[in-house]
Amino acid sequence: MAILDIKHVSKFFGGLAANSDVSFSMEQGMIMGLIGPNGAGKTTLFNCITGYYPPSKGEVTFKGTRLNGLQPDQVCRLGMVRTWQKVRPLAKLSVVDNVMVGALARTSSLKIARELAMEQLKVVRMDHKPDFLAGGLPIGERKKLEVARALATKPELLLLDEVMGGLNPAESEEIIQLILELKKRGLTQMVIEHDMKAIMRISDRIVVLNSGEKLAEGGPREIADNPDVIAAYLGERVE
Amino acid sequence: MDRRPLLSRAPRGFSVLGLVLFVAAIAALAVFPSFVKKPYVLHMGVVLFLAVIQGQAWNVVGGYAGQYSVGHAAFFGIGAYVTMMLLEVNKIAPWVGIWAAIAAAVLVSLVIGSITFRLRGPYFVLASISVAEIIRLATLHFKEFTRGAEGFLVSEIPTLKIGATEIEFFTKRPFYFAALGLAVLTIIANWIVQHSKLGYYFQAIREDQDAAHSLGINPAFYKNVALAISAAFTAAAGGFYAMFVKFIDPNTVFGLDISVQFVLICIIGGIGTILGPVIGAMVLVPLSEILRNPKGLVQLGIVSSDSGFVRFVEANLSNAHMLVYGILVVVVILFAPEGVLGVIRRLASRVRRRASSRGRTEPAATA
Ligand SMILES: Nc1ncnc2c1ncn2[C@@H]1O[C@H](COP(=O)(O)OP(=O)(O)OP(=O)(O)O)[C@@H](O)[C@H]1O
Ligand SMILES: [Mg+2]
Repeated sequence: MAILDIKHVSKFFGGLAANSDVSFSMEQGMIMGLIGPNGAGKTTLFNCITGYYPPSKGEVTFKGTRLNGLQPDQVCRLGMVRTWQKVRPLAKLSVVDNVMVGALARTSSLKIARELAMEQLKVVRMDHKPDFLAGGLPIGERKKLEVARALATKPELLLLDEVMGGLNPAESEEIIQLILELKKRGLTQMVIEHDMKAIMRISDRIVVLNSGEKLAEGGPREIADNPDVIAAYLGERVE
Repeated sequence: MDRRPLLSRAPRGFSVLGLVLFVAAIAALAVFPSFVKKPYVLHMGVVLFLAVIQGQAWNVVGGYAGQYSVGHAAFFGIGAYVTMMLLEVNKIAPWVGIWAAIAAAVLVSLVIGSITFRLRGPYFVLASISVAEIIRLATLHFKEFTRGAEGFLVSEIPTLKIGATEIEFFTKRPFYFAALGLAVLTIIANWIVQHSKLGYYFQAIREDQDAAHSLGINPAFYKNVALAISAAFTAAAGGFYAMFVKFIDPNTVFGLDISVQFVLICIIGGIGTILGPVIGAMVLVPLSEILRNPKGLVQLGIVSSDSGFVRFVEANLSNAHMLVYGILVVVVILFAPEGVLGVIRRLASRVRRRASSRGRTEPAATA
């Protein structure tokens, strides 16, 4: 059974169809790449899946549960969590406190939450500065903090919205390794990314959005060779 | 609105030094009346403790959960009126009646919260102001029940019997100890709440509601919880106030200046910290007392009765305390957005940083 099933999802903002009749599904343990030009509707799709917006049409099923009408906090407790493209650190809280907020979705004990949080900070290699204020971190670490905080909620499906955006090549490589490491541990992931090389490396399958519509779906090779996809990127060389 | 944080490291949660200072301060305040017996001084002590309770109470919802209520007079007034009316109309002792007052305020807070917390931004601020005003006007209007503008006067507070000891509330002394006890209790309760899952959730909502929501937090629910806790302590303060000043009317306990006072104590001291409201109360109470009643300084023997300062304040500032408050808020927001406590912490961290850079270099601390 698919862990996530997106059926005919549309989202309208006034007259604009940010998502239009998007359907695809994800199997347990896979990494799905979600790509498309700026404004294609990738973030909007995350918002629709996680309950931030109710989809205008269509439905989303996660682990057999219909999500329509559920709020983001309920979706999170069901086991699906997202990171934010424009990072949202809890600025006046320390690094470990940020991650603890995530962990508290699974426990009410601060002690256990702190242990869980430190574990996740180790996963993203930020366990050396737990007491620093999140608001003062450089962008690379803010992105990693987003991931650690999401991981602390013990998700079964992790949605990453451009975690490599704005990072230097070394930092991006670290994120790629992290994503692959998480996959090895069995975590299912959907990854929005503009860096084609990176997305080709990590994805098992890729969905391409363009102007809100699903333009193509397939394995990395297939997508790279797809003439529609190449056209959508206006001659940007894929690969 | 992405402001750089003033500190690079978060202040530690629990410290032995903090606990020792806390206990020492309580001990000092507890023996204080044995040495200083002037009723005026004890009176000011009670006012100060009340302000601490008010600040701590507001801080739960305003400081930690980030929902700026400018209508806490609603809960304060409900606390005062319920306690007072139960005593005067039903002859119920205030230490019993205050629980009903707390329950009433919590109930009202849940109604207000469930309506306004679905909305974001300034709606809650505006709604909180209007709710307090509505209650004030209703209290003025329904005279048969509330006696309207006439208000209530305490005729007699019964004697409190705890085992063999009997406590009579004739002098300032018992009020002083009761207020101190209530303030200590409020601080401890606040500390516990803030060092629990609730406190983390409140702060997460304050820092970024969308992020909090996506991490499994139901913002409307937890804001409501914060408001209810805040309303409970505020009502306790209101009930105590009514018994202490012995007279209440709608304009004094439900007035906008009471609501503003709650906010001021926290803004001046430092929002979202346990120590902030304490410092805020220590700044605001003496200041407003000097403005309101400059003769108090004479009573304390600080200035002589023909002092030019007293005459100046009486002539020019006594009726303008709201103006002075306003200027104070502007000054604090411009020059010390994190309150007096923020200034202290910034200075301390600068000293610490200088000390540590003299020892070994710590490049990360300036990141
Ligand atoms: N809340 C909103 N209200 C109105 N329009 C919106 C809203 N959110 C997104 N849009 C519009 O929907 C379209 C899709 O936006 P979305 O953010 O989903 O794109 P994206 O694929 O994530 O782009 P990017 O790669 O730049 O992040 C854009 O035209 C955007 O302006
Ligand atoms: Mg986007």
